[in-house]
Amino acid sequence: MDRRVTWLPFGLSRYSGKQVVGGGLIVIVLALLPYLDSNSSHISAVADAGYILLLAFGLNIIVGYTGLLALGFAAFFAIGAYTYAFVASPQFGLHWSFWIMLVVSAAVAAAFGVILGAPTLRLRGDYLAIVTLGFGEIVPQLFQNLDKWTGGPDGIAAVDQPTLFGYNFGFNPTPYYYLYFVVICICLLLLTNLRYSRLGRTWMAIREDELAAEHMGINTTTAKLLAFSMGAAFAGIAGVIYAAKLSTISPSGFDFNMSIMILAAIVLGGMGNLSGVLLGGGIIAMLNFLILPQASNWAHALGTKLNVAFLMSVDLTQYRFMLYGIILVLVMLFRPEGLLPSATVRAELHDAGKTPEAA
Amino acid sequence: MFELHNCAPQFVQQLINGVALGGLYALIALGYTMVYGIIELINFAHGDVYTLGSFISLSILGLIPLASISNPTVLALIAVAVIILAALLCGIVGVLIERLAYRRLRNAPRLAPLITAIGVSLILENIMQIWKGNSEVSFPQFLPDNWHQIGSVRFDDRSLLVVVVSVVCMILLNLFVFRTKLGKAMRATAQDRDAAQLMGINVNSTIAWTFFIGSALAGVAGFISGMYYGTTFFLNGYQAGLKAFTAAVLGGIGNITGAMLGGFVIGIVETMTSGCISDQWSEVAVFAILILTLVFRPSGLLGQQLPEKV
Amino acid sequence: MLGITGARRLSIAALLALTLGATGCSNSSGGSGANSSSGAAQGNIIKIGADLPISGADASDGVPTKHGVELAVIDANKRNLVPGFTLQADILDDAVNGVHDPNQGAKNIQAFASDAAVLGIVGPFNSNVAKAEIPLTNSLGIALISPSNTNPDLTKGASALELRRSNPQSITYFRVCATDDIQGPVGADYAYKDRGLRKAYLIDDNETYGRGVSDAWGAQFTADGGTVLAHDHITKGQQDFHALLTRAQGMNPDVLFYGGTTSTGGGLVRKQMGDSGMASTAYFGADGIRNAEFLRVAGATADNVYGTVAAVNATTIPEAKTFLADYQAQFNQPVGSYSAAGYTSAMVIIQAIAKAVKENGGKMPSRDDVLTNLRSVKRFDSIMGPFAFDANGDTTNKIISIYGAKKDVWVFLTQRKFGAK
Repeated sequence: MDRRVTWLPFGLSRYSGKQVVGGGLIVIVLALLPYLDSNSSHISAVADAGYILLLAFGLNIIVGYTGLLALGFAAFFAIGAYTYAFVASPQFGLHWSFWIMLVVSAAVAAAFGVILGAPTLRLRGDYLAIVTLGFGEIVPQLFQNLDKWTGGPDGIAAVDQPTLFGYNFGFNPTPYYYLYFVVICICLLLLTNLRYSRLGRTWMAIREDELAAEHMGINTTTAKLLAFSMGAAFAGIAGVIYAAKLSTISPSGFDFNMSIMILAAIVLGGMGNLSGVLLGGGIIAMLNFLILPQASNWAHALGTKLNVAFLMSVDLTQYRFMLYGIILVLVMLFRPEGLLPSATVRAELHDAGKTPEAA
Repeated sequence: MFELHNCAPQFVQQLINGVALGGLYALIALGYTMVYGIIELINFAHGDVYTLGSFISLSILGLIPLASISNPTVLALIAVAVIILAALLCGIVGVLIERLAYRRLRNAPRLAPLITAIGVSLILENIMQIWKGNSEVSFPQFLPDNWHQIGSVRFDDRSLLVVVVSVVCMILLNLFVFRTKLGKAMRATAQDRDAAQLMGINVNSTIAWTFFIGSALAGVAGFISGMYYGTTFFLNGYQAGLKAFTAAVLGGIGNITGAMLGGFVIGIVETMTSGCISDQWSEVAVFAILILTLVFRPSGLLGQQLPEKV
Repeated sequence: MLGITGARRLSIAALLALTLGATGCSNSSGGSGANSSSGAAQGNIIKIGADLPISGADASDGVPTKHGVELAVIDANKRNLVPGFTLQADILDDAVNGVHDPNQGAKNIQAFASDAAVLGIVGPFNSNVAKAEIPLTNSLGIALISPSNTNPDLTKGASALELRRSNPQSITYFRVCATDDIQGPVGADYAYKDRGLRKAYLIDDNETYGRGVSDAWGAQFTADGGTVLAHDHITKGQQDFHALLTRAQGMNPDVLFYGGTTSTGGGLVRKQMGDSGMASTAYFGADGIRNAEFLRVAGATADNVYGTVAAVNATTIPEAKTFLADYQAQFNQPVGSYSAAGYTSAMVIIQAIAKAVKENGGKMPSRDDVLTNLRSVKRFDSIMGPFAFDANGDTTNKIISIYGAKKDVWVFLTQRKFGAK
């Protein structure tokens, strides 16, 4: 194995020189992307991948690291987005700073993570999954029904865009792209370190064997609550940027489908492994924002040539959940560890008799 | 948002609405509870099998020239035939789902089959969307509809149909599970799969039968919901499935009598919330029950307290 | 995977994601072009965006409106209204799971905005979608003309000012139909005076449009001397209205008013009224239910049902004769409530584009030029009759048509015309 670059800060010293150079190159290419591709709808699509990735990071802490299946994760996304929209829109006539709310919304979502987590975390795996699913159903319903404050099913329109040193982001996708880019880089550094920290190891101990972890003297309740609140915080941040970029939010954007999309992303990429989550999130986002709309156009062209009415008017984005369903089933059946698994998850999901591969 | 209405004068009338709705939930809940009882899987796709049942019934009915038949006995026979066909086809779909998607994962970590089930649910929903489109589909209402009045309370044949069919199915299921050999095998497999196998029970076929019966009941529910509402929609199974699952949890998951009881309770709670508070809050009420039950009494109303399996 | 860890995998992942992005980048994005077969060079194409719900339950409103837009573009190309340019209709669907969705609408506007060839947008169909879109078009400076949004707060009053907070003085949103502050009262008057109904039960879907139109309807019904027994809200996606309707039945109304669209439950409510002993109660709605989808869902119960449309009935006016013939020839389908309005909306934009091109010496004009020309429309002789835009962007041609449902067809009953203010 290559020698590690011991002098690098932020825990990057864990990686070899080749890895750091390779990673660095990709960061540079991505940083220059808006200069390489001038089509702003592409930049917008790649920027939107940002919230998918942030949500996937958050859900990965809960499902991937700690092994708690949460099915209503979009609720935290909704809480983050609404927290920002309440104080930065005509809804209550408030126009607070985006940057402060980025932190505040993360904290609010984290707090709701604890509020939901506290009474439910002692439940077994699939029961917990269903409680979080119920929570995920109730939260958008509350936003929908408490219409005096939340705008009801219409949601909140005219949400403020961020301003940085006098520059208003407006509806130009490029600044949002860079904002997501910076936030994701920070999150990645944070998560790489978290993964190997005492807390990270605690989470994985819980995932492997909760009972054993408890007997080893680990306070599993605190660790699980921390996983829930930190995961929720990522969703909160994603919600704020999402609301600002789209300028409007409504309960329908935070339904079960959103939770499933994120779950499909981390399942596809490889639960518990950051690079897997990046890959899965990237694939799902690109499918969603670029490839399916494209494929619809190809289908229309093909339909016009072949004179097939169905193909001429088909909107493939309507069927994207078919694709996510197929992804979930096929991955679980044939590669339950995902495309880029972490060594431990991989070993765990294959026959217990086999020795785990060395990493 | 919150307005309390005086619903006392119509209490009995609303109760009838609730019991009819509850009958549907109970039929669907049975499938959840049987499958959970035997392989501890929340069969997320079950709600969609229910919608599939109404779509299948719809397509079969489309083949029959209903308009030219006026004899009520013939129409009733057609209804019975369609119920049986829909149940059979849904049962087969259920067995196929188990065979193709769940069987391989029977010994995998618990979350793997649950995630697969969510995937199957999405696939079924989209197949139905491609099949019948994404707007309300009309369901032919070919049975004569008569109104009955007892005192100030009115109800029609269709509500009666829902209640009668669901109660009959429940009685048949109870007889089957507690009086037949296959039923005994199911109970044995649910208790201890390995021991059942050692006793000579074919576990694979027993599990397949469980899926068949659960899905067939969902198919029956699909048909009677089509008759009751006169419409169906490709996403109906998602909400109905969640509520039926809530019913199964409330009754004590794995417990057949509990699922029936839970179904009626959920149906009545939903109806009373709509009738006395507001329609908007009925779903919140149901999901609140789900969360509260799981947090404070995970064993449900009738389930026994199980020690955590290690 | 021996030896591949951490950052290395990270880089592989990022690279793959990037490649995926790049493959997507090689093609232009956007919706389905009506005339996408056109071989003209990119620089000679001007696109008219259209954001409408064209799938699911809303399709029976959205698709005929879309056809109106497409026909306008075909006509304009045929008549060479914009010399030197080929026009294209670029249509995006704002329905999610078959129901109009404000989030999707906002996404579509951003997609249009990022395509420099789009000089103006027709849409949206639903008022809550408009509420999400107006702040965007106002900030981006792109014309948005709705064929069918009827909520008055979108253009008038303090709430409209909040929607165009970026540039309060600059109108970017226009509409060619009348608004609910007259549509609601016209319907209520018809129910009270012409149908002799006295006790009303109001239900709405709690959306911008549904809430607004039922409030306006109820206020006028009360002013006429009628009684509003109760006003309930439902939520889209609901299936079972038996409990709600049983409660309504207990109050014994003469008429049930539904404020909302068929896609949010209008058809199901009518269908289930019979189950709760309200088969003979009259059912009133507004333009949200005056569509083919309602007739399909309600089936045999689509009787004693009345709806209004906030635009002229094209089949009654001479100006629309050619349009109707062309529409029939092109699509072989009946026109919808707002097909003519869709055509008119697109034509107003095209005419403004033509003027802007001329002023710009035959070169591609800016979106701002198009807007300036739109705002200065003094008189536009459309297939819906002559009209102009007032200071708020509303049409001066205010007509409400009243229809009654007869099982499988909407029958035109009468219309009310309102003078320019």
